[in-house]
Amino acid sequence: MKDFRSPVLDRRQILKAAAMAPFAGLALSGCGSKPADSAAANKTVTVTSYGGSYNDQLTQTILDPFAKQTGIQPTLLANTSLAALKAQVQSGDVQWDLVEITAPEYETAVAEGLLEKFDYDIISDKGLPGYAKAEYGIKYLSFLFVMAWDQNVIPDAKAPKDWAQFFDQDMYNTKRSVYNQLSDSSVLEAALLADGVPFDKIYPLDVDRALRVLGHHPGKDRLLYHAANQEPIQQLTSGEVSLSTSFNNRINAARTDGAKLNFSAENAVLAGDYFVVPKGAKNKEAAFKLMNFMSNDAEAGAAFDKVTNLTLANTPALSKLPKEIADTLPTSPRLADKILVRDDKWWSQNLKKTEQQFKLWQAS
Amino acid sequence: MSTATLPRTRPKGRDNPSPAGAAPKRRRTGWWLLLAPILVFDVVLFLTPLGKLVASSFADNAYQRVLEDPLVVRSLVNTLTISLASTLVTVALGYVIAVVLCNAGNVMRVVLFAVVLLPFWTGILVKNFAWAVLLQDNGIINAFLRGIGLTDAPVELLHNRFAVIVGMVHCLLPYAVFPIFSSLTSIDDRLGLAARSLGATEASVFRRITLPLSAPGVSAAGLLVFIISTGFFITPVVMGGPGDMMIANQIDYYARQLTDFSGAAALAVVLTVMVSILVAVYQRVLKAGGQHEDN
Repeated sequence: MKDFRSPVLDRRQILKAAAMAPFAGLALSGCGSKPADSAAANKTVTVTSYGGSYNDQLTQTILDPFAKQTGIQPTLLANTSLAALKAQVQSGDVQWDLVEITAPEYETAVAEGLLEKFDYDIISDKGLPGYAKAEYGIKYLSFLFVMAWDQNVIPDAKAPKDWAQFFDQDMYNTKRSVYNQLSDSSVLEAALLADGVPFDKIYPLDVDRALRVLGHHPGKDRLLYHAANQEPIQQLTSGEVSLSTSFNNRINAARTDGAKLNFSAENAVLAGDYFVVPKGAKNKEAAFKLMNFMSNDAEAGAAFDKVTNLTLANTPALSKLPKEIADTLPTSPRLADKILVRDDKWWSQNLKKTEQQFKLWQAS
Repeated sequence: MSTATLPRTRPKGRDNPSPAGAAPKRRRTGWWLLLAPILVFDVVLFLTPLGKLVASSFADNAYQRVLEDPLVVRSLVNTLTISLASTLVTVALGYVIAVVLCNAGNVMRVVLFAVVLLPFWTGILVKNFAWAVLLQDNGIINAFLRGIGLTDAPVELLHNRFAVIVGMVHCLLPYAVFPIFSSLTSIDDRLGLAARSLGATEASVFRRITLPLSAPGVSAAGLLVFIISTGFFITPVVMGGPGDMMIANQIDYYARQLTDFSGAAALAVVLTVMVSILVAVYQRVLKAGGQHEDN
């Protein structure tokens, strides 16, 4: 049941965490003033991610083995957000050490000077694939933005083969759930693909055209919006919708838990998240050590890839994977010509404007 | 019904002079110490952050930026219309419940109180999700409508303004019932008896005695409910569509999605000022209305 946690509960956790933050701050700033405690720093590391099934997998495959090997105790929170990171850095009371943010958010955070430079003396870049290494972070994770369906209503044989079918109201008389934000979801790309735009002509994104397409197929009143990664799983399993956008690992996790869902990796959009260290993080070194472990430990990396079906930026892990698993990973060469690679650069320059336009379109 | 309300005013008048005459001189100093805890609490934990918020709202042209945002304008309009509609429905329903509570027997009254208080003690998320389960396309209400053959396709009950108002009214009802109930119970029964003995119908007793005498409770309830309404955040998210977002959702969007903190602060100030003006106008109108009736 844990995996079907609803998104708004996550929001409540955020609120709870926000309510507790001042007290935690008082407690910690009290400790920090004692010089004796500088030795105690870097014994722990506070990591934030998106929660749900993914946090369990991250703990099991990366954080627990890391704690065993180094004695550094990680704490994983579910309420990651660039806004909270910014608030912590601006108030000078930084609670988080390693923070997951989306690729466009990474560019924003760098531009606003919110991040610590990554120390590649502590982090060996041997295990990092070329796309992953960055000055202020590591694009540690690659995932697929996919179309998913409820097998109880749509058997796999009748499932959509591409985005045109996914949005086709004559084919599937159901509502579609799509993410309400664009920072790491690619619904506009999906709309353009549905309209017949080839992969290499998607960027620069024609936002007006994408919204026009969505307005016709499936039509505004046939779209439902989700606000968190775990929400489409709940909407699909409860029968509220039979089609939704989601991410490949979320659907896999739900399937492992017995949910009758499936997705298609073809015509998916490949995107990635960064891990970054907020400026002034108390356990900066521990965070870098964790990044080093994550990027180079073949065993942990392979376990992560296997359990999540996501690609960790950790090349040694790939050689440890059986072929049938390696073939299902987002970065598998087998998929290379069947998926769209998200253009982080375009999004980092256009995210706010486009998101505003998308919201306005939703509301009108 | 309230027992002997009329005599209550007389003993009060008699009791008052004696303690009021003697006590104040003895304990004049130090009374404010009693206020110290709440003052410290308010200044440190409320006024200081509020001041900082207001100060930060003046950075980077925040007001101009947010007020030029069509989404903000839209959510301001949404906030006013949704709050107004919720308030009207809540006060009307609350009035009916309060009247029933007043006239109910002891057992019935306990049961009704429990029914009114249950949502008061339940978390807003639980209430909203429960409504979502009832109202969704494959929910109980739609299943029932299809079962009795009223519709073939599901009726759209969720993710629209209707759903938001339903969810809000359910949360707000206790705030309307109690002020109205207390003003109803303080009406002297004998006024109604006297009116009836002089040939007044039930309708005119209600119109000329109950309604005017419970008006202060109704206006207090309306004010309370309206102010609470303007700050709703979860209900539009869980039960509304993208066109029903209220100002609190917009503040959240500015703070979390756009990481525009000065914009979020400016929005919070705009909301506070807007509600304050409305409250001031409302009270002025009420006062004017009250004087009018006296004349």
